[in-house]
Amino acid sequence: MSSPLQAFKYVPKDTFMDRLDPRSKFALSLSLLAASLASPQLTMQLVYLALATLLIAAAKRLAQWTPTLKAISPLVAAIFAANLIFTPGMPLTYATLMALRFFTVTTSFTLFFLTTTPDDLSLALEEMGVPREYTLMFTMSLRFVPTLADDVETVTAALLSRGFQLDRGNIIQRAKNYVYLLVPLIIYEVRRSLMIAEALEARAFGATKKPTRLYTLKMKKPDYLVLIASALIAVSPLAPAILNLSII
Amino acid sequence: MESEAAIQVENLRYVYPGGYEALKGVNLAVKKGEFIAIMGENGSGKTTLIKHFNGVLKPTEGRVLIDGVDTRETPVSKLSRKVGIVFQNPDHQLFSETVWDEVAFPMKNFGFPEQVVKERTERFLKLMGLYSYRDKSPYLLSLGERKRLTIAAVLAYDPEIIVLDEPTAGQDYIQKEHISGTMNLLRTMQKTVVIVTHDMEFVVQYVDRIVLMSRGRIVASASPHEVLLNPSLLASAGLMPPQLARLALQLSRAGIYTPRRLPETGEIVDAVLKRWHR
Amino acid sequence: MEGVNYTYPSSEEPVLRNIDLRIGRGEYILLAGPSGCGKSTLARILNGLIPNFYGGKLEGKILVDGKDPRKTPTYEMALTVGFVFQNPENQLFFSDVEREIAFGLENLGLPPHEIRRKVEDAIRKYGLENLRHRSPAELSGGQKQKVAIASVMVMEPKLLVLDEPTANLDPISAVKVLGLVKREVLERRISAIVIEHRVELVLPYVDRVVVMDRGRIVGDGEPYSVIQENSGLIGRPAIFDVYARLRAKGFPLHRWPRTPEQLAEDLKRILQG
Repeated sequence: MSSPLQAFKYVPKDTFMDRLDPRSKFALSLSLLAASLASPQLTMQLVYLALATLLIAAAKRLAQWTPTLKAISPLVAAIFAANLIFTPGMPLTYATLMALRFFTVTTSFTLFFLTTTPDDLSLALEEMGVPREYTLMFTMSLRFVPTLADDVETVTAALLSRGFQLDRGNIIQRAKNYVYLLVPLIIYEVRRSLMIAEALEARAFGATKKPTRLYTLKMKKPDYLVLIASALIAVSPLAPAILNLSII
Repeated sequence: MESEAAIQVENLRYVYPGGYEALKGVNLAVKKGEFIAIMGENGSGKTTLIKHFNGVLKPTEGRVLIDGVDTRETPVSKLSRKVGIVFQNPDHQLFSETVWDEVAFPMKNFGFPEQVVKERTERFLKLMGLYSYRDKSPYLLSLGERKRLTIAAVLAYDPEIIVLDEPTAGQDYIQKEHISGTMNLLRTMQKTVVIVTHDMEFVVQYVDRIVLMSRGRIVASASPHEVLLNPSLLASAGLMPPQLARLALQLSRAGIYTPRRLPETGEIVDAVLKRWHR
Repeated sequence: MEGVNYTYPSSEEPVLRNIDLRIGRGEYILLAGPSGCGKSTLARILNGLIPNFYGGKLEGKILVDGKDPRKTPTYEMALTVGFVFQNPENQLFFSDVEREIAFGLENLGLPPHEIRRKVEDAIRKYGLENLRHRSPAELSGGQKQKVAIASVMVMEPKLLVLDEPTANLDPISAVKVLGLVKREVLERRISAIVIEHRVELVLPYVDRVVVMDRGRIVGDGEPYSVIQENSGLIGRPAIFDVYARLRAKGFPLHRWPRTPEQLAEDLKRILQG
């Protein structure tokens, strides 16, 4: 699979983060995100980023996280540059803050996706009352990403094998070239979706409004600790003010 | 000097970007005009191997030479002119609005003169029994017809080497008979042909040589009768001998019939009757 | 099925014409015929996908285990008719084999402990112990189809329909899949219909062959005679040729061969006394 999608690919590992309930993991990621958005101090941003990075390291996913980091770096540079140019007053501090913030937000969410299976995620959503139609849609869209990637590869190979040059011509011509790729792909995926729908029917999908579950999620002691930690992180942007610390 | 091989594969290793090692050191030479089958279970690396023949995949290590030309140094569009690949699923390789355009498409890409494109398109549509559908969308054809259309599109531009990936998978008896006819045609045209297949019953009658693959390696390369009378070798590649070979094997153990070449119905019947009358 | 006719909504020509078919309990049937002859359509009528999902005009009498699929929601028919499709890729949705098998039972709203018990039974029966937490997408073709069958059989249907379940498999994996179905037929006395083009692969297992051509049933009965009569449509195994030629010469073979090994046994017995 190509590297930008790496962020969503769950690779099973047995670490502290993997064993957590998806809900507490979600709370953790969310609190890091909220804290990062709420805090105006550079120092605090660095703390949050360090924390998120530390957690990814604890989950042994650093190697998987780096491609994502590389992929978003140009975007971060753009955010930095834009803020540097358009912010009045202290542009350097503000631009750095925004860039760091972007890193923190993506890192905390990468943390969640790297350590949670799509199945677990939809279980958590169901637990929170989201109907199965929607959770299943989510599970399946992730499940079929690699399948779709394979199809793209096969169709591209076939197209090249017919002597077609995808990179021929100017920009407009090149864009048109890709239509040749899209037509069989779209037709094929429409057919596939029909086959999937048939298979769902054959598995009694929609038989009851309230499907039951083989696995049920259960919060354990570490989960409650993580929840408490998350709450603390969420209120941490207030800490400098309360403790009367003057930091930037 | 030895006659040049049409396809020369040397110590080919291929690792997919995800890290999966699909080919673990493959060596293979296919002579000009040779008709070979590459067989093996799902995931043995057959399809990965043939994608190297026209350069859509490039070796991670080792090299592949087509007519002496290194695939790493030649664009796919040039190699494809020499090596025509018909992939397994027709729905992955239909790009045009009409059946006619589908067959003309590669020839246009290769810059054939208009008159030649017209002549050859017509000839190969007729050959494959698809001429009456020429103005239809390829997607309105049946699975068997779509398969034949993809074969026609490749044969029409006359590549020297033809590679067919699982031509009979999911095809009914009547379609197989059609494809069988195409195989005979390829033989008479003396093309270099590589078929990737599981279908022993089908392939055995056409090929000069069977190459067995298992887990990214070539485990055997020999004439059909040597391979198919060796059930344990076949089983290691997820294959079963054809019915007549299985019958011959049992009968030879009982001393009733020992095949010298490919077992044949008439020979088996005669051998049994001879023994019975004795 | 009695006097069944069916026309797809987008077409005027019927794809099924006057189909009469009775399937008994414990029967294992090969449904064969050229592509487009109506086999898959017939199969989809049995679990109500046609016409409930596809529409079209369906006439005639249809009862499956006493239920008319037209008047029964497809999810309820899933309890009576299990359906396994050609491409395993499109019928496996989760990243865990256990969850995959449980899915149908979850949809039926069974209590978790009961789901657990049935899933465990299926895992044991299908030998999936080592794969239970693997992602079905990462399994081999044969293993995928095994999981697909397990996740349908766990709902305990009375009829299992398999639409070209082995088209993408190598022969040894294919035979294993067909053998699994045979075991279900023998152990649970279910009925099974398998659609397949390679007659010789299915032959060792089935009791009956139904041949279709252009929307009609053109042959139905004991495998040997039905295949011989319709070999122009569906081909015939090489050993049938040997058998027929020997019989024509008066050679005293008394049962038609299901496998080359069986034919060899019979020949040896006769020749060696």
